[in-house]
Amino acid sequence: MAFCCEHSAYSAADLAGRLALHCPENLRVIPVPCAGRVDTLHILKAFENGAAAVLVLGCEEGACHHLTGNTRAKERAKHAEVLLKEIGGNGRYVAMSNLSPNAPHKFVTIVDEMNERIKKSGEVR
Amino acid sequence: MEPRIGVFICDCGGSIKNIDFSQAREKAAKIPDVAFVELSSDLCLKEGEQKMSSSLKAKNIDRVVIAACSPESKKHVFQKALESAGLNGHLLSMVNIREQCSWAHEGDITEKALQMVRMGVNKARSLKPIEKEEISVNKDVLVVGGGFSGMSSAIQLSRLGLRTILLERESALGGKNRDLEDLYGLKTSSLIKEIEGNKDIEVLTSSEVVKVEGKVGDFTVRIRRGTEERSRVFGGIVFATGYETGGDSQLKPGAQITSPNGLAYMLQASNLGGKPRIIGFVFDSSDENSRLASVATLNSALTAKQKWDSEVYVFCKNVKVDGEGLESLYREARECGVVFVKFEEKPKISAQDGRVKIEAKDVLVGEGTALECDLLIAEENFLPSQGTETLSSLLNVRTDSRGFYQEENVHLYPVSSERKGIFFVGDCRGDSAPGRVLTDVSSAVTSLYELLGPGKIVVERDKVKVDPQKCRTCLTCLRACPHSAVGLTRVENGREVAEIWDLACDACGICTALCPAKAIEFEGYSDQQILAQIEAIGVS
Amino acid sequence: MIIAERKPMEEIKQVTAPYKKLLLAGCGTCVTVCWAGGEKEVGILASQLRLARGTEGKDHAILEATVERQCEKEMAEELRSKVAEVDAVLSLACGIGVQTMAEIFEDKPIFPALNTTFLGMPEKEGVWVEMCGACGDCFLDRTGSVCPIVRCAKGLLNGPCGGTRKGGKCEIDPQKDCAWVLIHRRLIKQGRLYLMEKYYPPKNFRAVKRPGKIQAIKA
Repeated sequence: MAFCCEHSAYSAADLAGRLALHCPENLRVIPVPCAGRVDTLHILKAFENGAAAVLVLGCEEGACHHLTGNTRAKERAKHAEVLLKEIGGNGRYVAMSNLSPNAPHKFVTIVDEMNERIKKSGEVR
Repeated sequence: MEPRIGVFICDCGGSIKNIDFSQAREKAAKIPDVAFVELSSDLCLKEGEQKMSSSLKAKNIDRVVIAACSPESKKHVFQKALESAGLNGHLLSMVNIREQCSWAHEGDITEKALQMVRMGVNKARSLKPIEKEEISVNKDVLVVGGGFSGMSSAIQLSRLGLRTILLERESALGGKNRDLEDLYGLKTSSLIKEIEGNKDIEVLTSSEVVKVEGKVGDFTVRIRRGTEERSRVFGGIVFATGYETGGDSQLKPGAQITSPNGLAYMLQASNLGGKPRIIGFVFDSSDENSRLASVATLNSALTAKQKWDSEVYVFCKNVKVDGEGLESLYREARECGVVFVKFEEKPKISAQDGRVKIEAKDVLVGEGTALECDLLIAEENFLPSQGTETLSSLLNVRTDSRGFYQEENVHLYPVSSERKGIFFVGDCRGDSAPGRVLTDVSSAVTSLYELLGPGKIVVERDKVKVDPQKCRTCLTCLRACPHSAVGLTRVENGREVAEIWDLACDACGICTALCPAKAIEFEGYSDQQILAQIEAIGVS
Repeated sequence: MIIAERKPMEEIKQVTAPYKKLLLAGCGTCVTVCWAGGEKEVGILASQLRLARGTEGKDHAILEATVERQCEKEMAEELRSKVAEVDAVLSLACGIGVQTMAEIFEDKPIFPALNTTFLGMPEKEGVWVEMCGACGDCFLDRTGSVCPIVRCAKGLLNGPCGGTRKGGKCEIDPQKDCAWVLIHRRLIKQGRLYLMEKYYPPKNFRAVKRPGKIQAIKA
């Protein structure tokens, strides 16, 4: 499950598709207007609904369209990780990454790396 | 009433190959609340649009899901199509089965596409219409700073029919260039004359901004003039507050040592005792921000050479010539006989019998070199102008690491700020060559004209909205909003609650995510809509 | 305003472990404002518990509800039907709310999910600082309205202690301001520095007999 900022990651994902850079099929994208819109609750709910990993993808540091959204998202993802650890993580992963809208390769790499992590822990859906 | 959702699946002229459309149609039709599913291959073309429009009317559809290309490319087209069919353009949920599904994977991908459609339908279920609203705005513009960039902004704004108040802290207009026209080659006296004759520009000298409240189209600014303070309303604000110079800390100005500014004064003076025969410049800036220093050095070196015919040496680490006209200025200086000496280690400077000795290692020749000169021009540091810090916290606008306005943000473009309607131009954004100042002014003026020119701004009403019943007035949103778009308002029972100004809101949803009482609804990205999409992944 | 923070997860899991059906009850006043027990926090904790219990293979019945003020019996009463459905309640209110709930729903265990920490003020977004110790004998008239009882780490009435750090920070926690430096500065501004020359005898901290009770005059 990936929450993608419409100012960066969503465009990067589009571009990846246009370049036929292949992503893992188990990726589901929810567009958000800013990574700062993603609430801790959304991340937890994704796990409740069976996601194995949640990615929050926002603009590059210092280039957030809404100035503080990406740094807030990073903090929130960290907080969600703490909350998950509290209940014994159990192969649930959260990560926040920064990328620019013209970085389709980076997008695919981020998703692939996360997919590898899930596979290793044997939780792939 | 149960929503009636219409699903349109488009194969994009046959470019989506790995989805079984008839199977998708069959399965999508079974999703709850889906009234009908239609396949198309030219939805964004006129024929497709017309067909969609007639189906919407015939089947009495009130929410639309379009599974096709990326919303980035065609969302506005489909929104228009909905509107022409009598539906609010916002009642559309787009599913990107092209870039992020079909093209991103190999092999049959029908299942994933279906799940994405399910996500889209789940979101569509709770979509609400958003009405557009015209809000009238004040067309007056406040320009703060009566220097070159401020004056140019005021003049250009008045030419576009926007009345301007030009605020200057000092007692007269002109800023740094008033006495130093030659230093940067900017002609300010003609600008002052033009402003004096312009009835659309009101000049307030010896005045300062004390407080700024409100939002684009409706800023209330408290202006202090002497002991008197009063408030005025403006639609937009341009800050052109310039920079300040501070001397090189190691070299104290004296009879033999001065700054480029000091030299400019000497060059303009008519009754100078004697002309300095040998002049040495030491110019150590090597970072990214030395444009202004380069202009000042090159201009004054050249003028001194031409006016006094002195021997001129410039000791420098690097000369930054990436601004407009800078390279030719450098060439001209060299051709006139100005000598440039490149060093790596900072030169040693000592006083000797009323003269100044500069010792440096010339890296091009590879040898030490020494110069005794009558006058040493030491470089200056360029600093944010006095009051920048106060003003930035007053405006809730960030500054960069050196304290200048307008932290570099690729999305905000050069001159606009995080607050709609507030612009920064010229050297208050860090040092820049004169050419860039003019570009700044033009882009700020054009943006302001676009914003305020029509006298009204069209906004999406209540896209992000506070529920006054749920708001606990904890002020989290007010403190967190990056665009200063949240204020307080009194509701009927006298309680104060947060209010989001449609005019200033940039729809990021940071407040919505933070609100501890879940009192902020962001239509299109509400908790309900996001969670509904998440829930769809649990169903297969 | 009352400031609180969530208890450690282990503790919450432990006390709620024997109960299959739980109600997470939020409070819409102080603890909402300090990001500890509002609707949002209720949702997060509920989700966390569901995930935790899911992996432990137990029932998933966790209800959520938030009332305006849990410390008002009439408002807490709104939860009656939901409380009836569950085995226990996990209250995200301050200690007052937890006890109010317990008084009206006597037959159900009501557990605190928060630790009520202090009475404080928001310093900036997401940061709260202690301002008042509710001592029942306000001292602020003598100290330029800076409370040394809670804002001085040692609670000195005749400060500073002599350990004040450079820059006016506290010797015990260099991140925090020395209250007596703040008092000194404030009194200078007000031209009342002479107040610091006075000696104040030890304070009667039993000004309010426990348990406190106030009877307002009925008009």
